[in-house]
Amino acid sequence: MIESALIYGLVNSLVILLTALGFSLVFGLSGIANLAHGGLYIIAGYLTWILLKRLDLPLVVSIVLAILVVATCGALLYRGVIRPIKGTTWSEVVSTYGILVCIVEFFRWRGFITYEFSLPPFLKGGIEILGVSLDYQRLCVVIIGALLLLALFLFSHHMRLGLALRAMAQDELTALSVGIEPNWTATVSMALGGALAAIAAVTLLPMGLITVNLGYDILVIALAVSVLGGLESLVGLALASLLLGYAQILVSTFVGSHWMEIVYLVAIIGVLIFKPSGILGKFKELEERV
Amino acid sequence: MIRLASRRNSAVFCLILAGLFLLGLAGCGGGEKEAAQPSGQAEPVVMAVVTALGSSEGQDSLRAAQLAAEEINAQGGISVGGTKRPIEIISIDTREHEAGVPVSDALAALEKIITEKKPHVIVSGAFRSEVLLASMDLIPKYKIPYIINIAKSTKFEEKVLSEPEKGKYFFRLGSNSAHMAQYLGGLLENINQQFGFKSAYLVIQDTLWAQGTGKAVEGWLKEHGWTVVGYDAYPVGASDFSATLSKALQGKAQVIIPVFDMPQCAILVKQARSMKVPALIVGRLAPLVPQEAWDVFQGEIEGVVCAVEEYGSVPVKAAPKSVAFVESFTKKYGEERARKMIDHGVGASYDAVYMVAAAIERAGSLDPDAVSSALQQTDMEGTIGKIKFGNDHQAIYALDPKEGAIGGAFQWKAPGVRVPVYPPSVAEGQIELPSYMK
Repeated sequence: MIESALIYGLVNSLVILLTALGFSLVFGLSGIANLAHGGLYIIAGYLTWILLKRLDLPLVVSIVLAILVVATCGALLYRGVIRPIKGTTWSEVVSTYGILVCIVEFFRWRGFITYEFSLPPFLKGGIEILGVSLDYQRLCVVIIGALLLLALFLFSHHMRLGLALRAMAQDELTALSVGIEPNWTATVSMALGGALAAIAAVTLLPMGLITVNLGYDILVIALAVSVLGGLESLVGLALASLLLGYAQILVSTFVGSHWMEIVYLVAIIGVLIFKPSGILGKFKELEERV
Repeated sequence: MIRLASRRNSAVFCLILAGLFLLGLAGCGGGEKEAAQPSGQAEPVVMAVVTALGSSEGQDSLRAAQLAAEEINAQGGISVGGTKRPIEIISIDTREHEAGVPVSDALAALEKIITEKKPHVIVSGAFRSEVLLASMDLIPKYKIPYIINIAKSTKFEEKVLSEPEKGKYFFRLGSNSAHMAQYLGGLLENINQQFGFKSAYLVIQDTLWAQGTGKAVEGWLKEHGWTVVGYDAYPVGASDFSATLSKALQGKAQVIIPVFDMPQCAILVKQARSMKVPALIVGRLAPLVPQEAWDVFQGEIEGVVCAVEEYGSVPVKAAPKSVAFVESFTKKYGEERARKMIDHGVGASYDAVYMVAAAIERAGSLDPDAVSSALQQTDMEGTIGKIKFGNDHQAIYALDPKEGAIGGAFQWKAPGVRVPVYPPSVAEGQIELPSYMK
């Protein structure tokens, strides 16, 4: 039982990490709270399904195309919707949430409500770890989640483009003074966020079904993890994912499975009371103000 | 410069919208809500479908009602006091299956269609029990016979009996939450006799109807000497069932009994296979009911015994009208659509139109009180079996389609066949242990 909780707690943590990565990264790199993140996630899922089942394209091609399309959607979202209102936080929040609602309701309107939308796993079969059976898809979740986290950390801390993006998020005027173009960096970060949402979708959805309401569910998870970890910290995000992932599995195993989803709400309330900037958040102003 | 940028922004936004639109066109063909048009000159008898049309159950209920109306219209329509009148099906989406939609919104939709379109009968009503119970205070004001096919709470019968003046317009054709528990009990009895299994793990969706069924099944298990290894309730949206499966594995549960209608329950079945839990899965798993589920889950559902709310859209030879209904549905809407068909409410909606047509003919008028009285006298063969109502206005469910409406269970077998296994009167095969349990 303990072994199972340990292994599936890790898997659950990486599921949560993948779910929130795109949202957190966009906020960390461009300061945009992209509430349309869940919408991009379901676009990726349905698009992959359409390419795979309706156009009979191979799985790999479908996945790559879906990632590219959703990354482009992310960039276009910035250019078409967010850029004209950039800087007015409430407008950004309302607009991106509006886009999320449009995407979710669009799919509902078009009849994507049946139980047929499922993606195949990357690999069938599984292995045993510490006497606990684990399928390859969940193993892929762990590996992809860990690799993405590492790659993004290196990108945002050691590459010129990543540093430029972070500089823009930290102080736009100073970044401008050293020649960093704000619209371009925001477009790149939104594209990157879209791509991450798509990678999460194609990795996680083979474990279940694609449904329209996932658009909202994903956003709640992303918000909870990002608030807990600190909205602009990748390491904080990883810590928060581990904390929430294990907390959920332990609560489910030893307390009661019906308390599982409450873990997210408790985390949000707890962090807002005790450390509003999140575990590793750096928004000191907010903390001081509170 | 500014104008150029603005144009570019507009173009980009239009591109996004166009892309989304194309994405939708390439997807499913769902979303159509055409009405069955009256064919003759006579004023039509207007029947309304007032439910969550964004749900599988709601969409297919509307299609089934339209199909029945077209069939009756092709025969000349309904004879109302000696005049043949066609049926017109109208509909409104109450959206009550969506999280956050309040009961008042669903009631507003109901009142809107009543006041604007003035239907004579509602042939497929509430999706959620809360909406049904609230409607029972609204409908008597307008005096419209109201058929329920989806909402399941047994509080409906209590209210009909305790407030007969309000309840007289209401009739439920679909099964209620107690029926599912009874069918599962009988099914588990068979499993015990066939394989000697005596331990089970219940895993339930944390909603009122599923908890009601789960608690009833738990009571049955204990009463019949089974060991209940565990009972877990998962909130809607849960996506990891490893804790339950680990406990089932450790407790050596021979049967896992899920009761769910949320899409995420598919994860439970897949995860049980990947964790190699050597237990027979026997329960209510709505996403596993449609014919296409075998392809959707790449055959990973082999051996799962799926409870059926009502036969009808899941055809059984013992109820010939169910076979004919599925054939007609397939002919009208295509095989792809028919393969997505869910069980709950769909056959009942088709039957409801025939049942109401017969009641109107018996009543000889569209007077709501006369039609309601005639509905109470219903005794007909439908896709869901024999249809008769008790004093509580609930269709009588039985173990034989010749005696009452029927639900039960089928087992998924290779190569993607749903074999009815319960009750014995409709069984077309025996339950077999899946390969991972042999």
